[in-house]
Amino acid sequence: MQANPPSEPHWLPWAPSNLRRNPFGELSAAERAELAVVDVDPIIEHVSKPKHAIQLIGDCGRGKTTRMLALQDRLPRSSYVYLAEDEPCPAIPMGDPVLIDEAQRLPRAVRRSVWRSELPLILATHRDLQHELQKFGYRVWTVQIGVGNTPRLICQLLNRRIEASRLHAGPVPLLSLKTAELLASRFGTDIRAIEHHLYEQLQKQVNEHGQVRSLDNIG
Amino acid sequence: MAKCDLSIILDDPQAAHAGGGKVSGVVRVQVDADVACKGLEVKSLWRTHGRGNVATDTAGTLTLFEGQWQAGETQEYRFELPIAHWPPSFQGYYLSVDHYVDARAKIPWAFDPKASEPFQVVASCGPEETQATEQSAQMKGIAGCFVSMFVLAALVGFGLTLTAFGVFALLLLIIPLLGGVWWFFRKFLPKYLLGDVRVDFSESYVSPGATASGQLVIRPRKNVSINEIDLHFHARERCVSGSGSNRTTHRHTFVDTHESIHAATTLTAGKEHRFPLNVSIPEDAAYSLNLSDNEVIWSTTLRVDIPRWPDWVKEIPLLVLPSGENAGSNEAKASPADVLSAVSASPQSFDATDTGGMEGANQITFKETAHHVWSVREDRSQVEELAEAISGLSFDLEAEIERRLLYAGEDDPHVFKDGYAVWAHYLDPPLPLVLYVPHELADEFEQIGRDVWRGSGTIVGWDALHGRLQIKLESPS
Repeated sequence: MQANPPSEPHWLPWAPSNLRRNPFGELSAAERAELAVVDVDPIIEHVSKPKHAIQLIGDCGRGKTTRMLALQDRLPRSSYVYLAEDEPCPAIPMGDPVLIDEAQRLPRAVRRSVWRSELPLILATHRDLQHELQKFGYRVWTVQIGVGNTPRLICQLLNRRIEASRLHAGPVPLLSLKTAELLASRFGTDIRAIEHHLYEQLQKQVNEHGQVRSLDNIG
Repeated sequence: MAKCDLSIILDDPQAAHAGGGKVSGVVRVQVDADVACKGLEVKSLWRTHGRGNVATDTAGTLTLFEGQWQAGETQEYRFELPIAHWPPSFQGYYLSVDHYVDARAKIPWAFDPKASEPFQVVASCGPEETQATEQSAQMKGIAGCFVSMFVLAALVGFGLTLTAFGVFALLLLIIPLLGGVWWFFRKFLPKYLLGDVRVDFSESYVSPGATASGQLVIRPRKNVSINEIDLHFHARERCVSGSGSNRTTHRHTFVDTHESIHAATTLTAGKEHRFPLNVSIPEDAAYSLNLSDNEVIWSTTLRVDIPRWPDWVKEIPLLVLPSGENAGSNEAKASPADVLSAVSASPQSFDATDTGGMEGANQITFKETAHHVWSVREDRSQVEELAEAISGLSFDLEAEIERRLLYAGEDDPHVFKDGYAVWAHYLDPPLPLVLYVPHELADEFEQIGRDVWRGSGTIVGWDALHGRLQIKLESPS
């Protein structure tokens, strides 16, 4: 039996481009984990023992939280906590491992009780916590996030987001490596800034021309 | 590689479905290899897209199949699902709202095949929605009064503290001073000339295509010449992405008009001057939306231009809502009052052993309580009001343990001395819970691991940050 070709939803402005939405809008945590283009296996391998910690250090928009969400997705016994700025420290559940995003914001007393737990830890942080962790007997591995954001990777992950916004089977507008190189030369390794730029560009194209015209030279 | 492919075929994919109605169709499954399916789940939901943090809610879920599929077969499963009353479909610049039928086949030890099909929803709910929004506005007003009183008290305390700092106090005074200057120029001076200025709109909400009518009433204290009275009518999307230091607000204005209400004139002292206001809402206007970090806001800003004097300016929000002509029946949601009435007829504590059934006439079980809390859990003010109403009630309950907490939250007063907290959830509905475990039960919890615990406890509040009902457990006597 063959599936009937689905008709184009007339109310969706993205439908003529075979998309259901602007691919570069905000994603839910589950979608971010699903669409992450990251190799988390070495991290998982390292953090499988007690008193082992990994800290992911990098500037904003480089992919720390995306990695943390991908790790949480891969590690069913893990727990994940995000520490928002200027808000009380949330509850921290035990996990194997415990994932703490923005770990530099942990209040001193809470930090000490987490380090004392000896549970395996994965920390996304803007500040190096290695010495402090070592004092509590942790073996620490530091991963610099952002250095691997090459044009090829940028191209891959942006196209993955476009694919995830696909409406039906058939072609969708995709980004070329050349465009990714242009974007990388303009925004460096800041993936978030690239996504924001693309959101605006695509939204303008759809508003002005009724569909995504071209992703070439959009950088 | 997926062992089966899913596709969704809606009965009427081009239809504009009414909010609160039904959406129907089939889920088609094409199987490449023998596969065991632990559940073919289909649900109707809405979801925001764009620059704001994603908001979503599910209107209905069905499990269509559970069992074995054989290689080469194609199966179709019919479904009919409820559609959420609100919000309707919306396509904006920074915000879009879409409704979907999502299907997912749960396959052990493999990626779950998924499919998703959008459908259009038009609003059908009427004034009930408005009243809810109005109540929320009133609550905000009351909250605003409390905040003002708190700020005033803080300022007085601050002033008294400053006396201890001598000349350095001047540095600390800069911010309150700037605030005071702003208030003096923007609020006090215009009011000094114009007296009390009232803006009244006859209706609390207006529908697309209709006109919001009202009036501006000015009774000046002295004769005042004005250049113009101007009405600025605008609609915008406001979306917030990220949180904490990454929190960013994105704004997009899609209606922006200016209209002169009155030309230059002199307002006579002591006389009431009335200026009619008429704001026409476009036929195709988007409804006002407030979906967590995603909003569509309509408002008018009135400005009385006073020569050589600060202008009087006021922004008045307008609610653009459906007329209610196609209103369907509202989803049954428990209000705090419903639960309170059930609670008031029940004793303070229940000691029945069957936690799933009624313990007796007029008694509310934990199961019923959990259902009420579950139904309003997405509405923070309602769930907090409800949690407050049921705080102090003791129940027999059962809960599936999730995990122990390393840290229970800032100075959590409910944690027992030498005890700890665990996250758990009730079984049906799967209401998330925080259980405060006394020292005497610690061993029992260590043994249970992630199984179901049965015992009794007292509701002590609602953990808004994690969306969990807080329960203090009782030691076995």
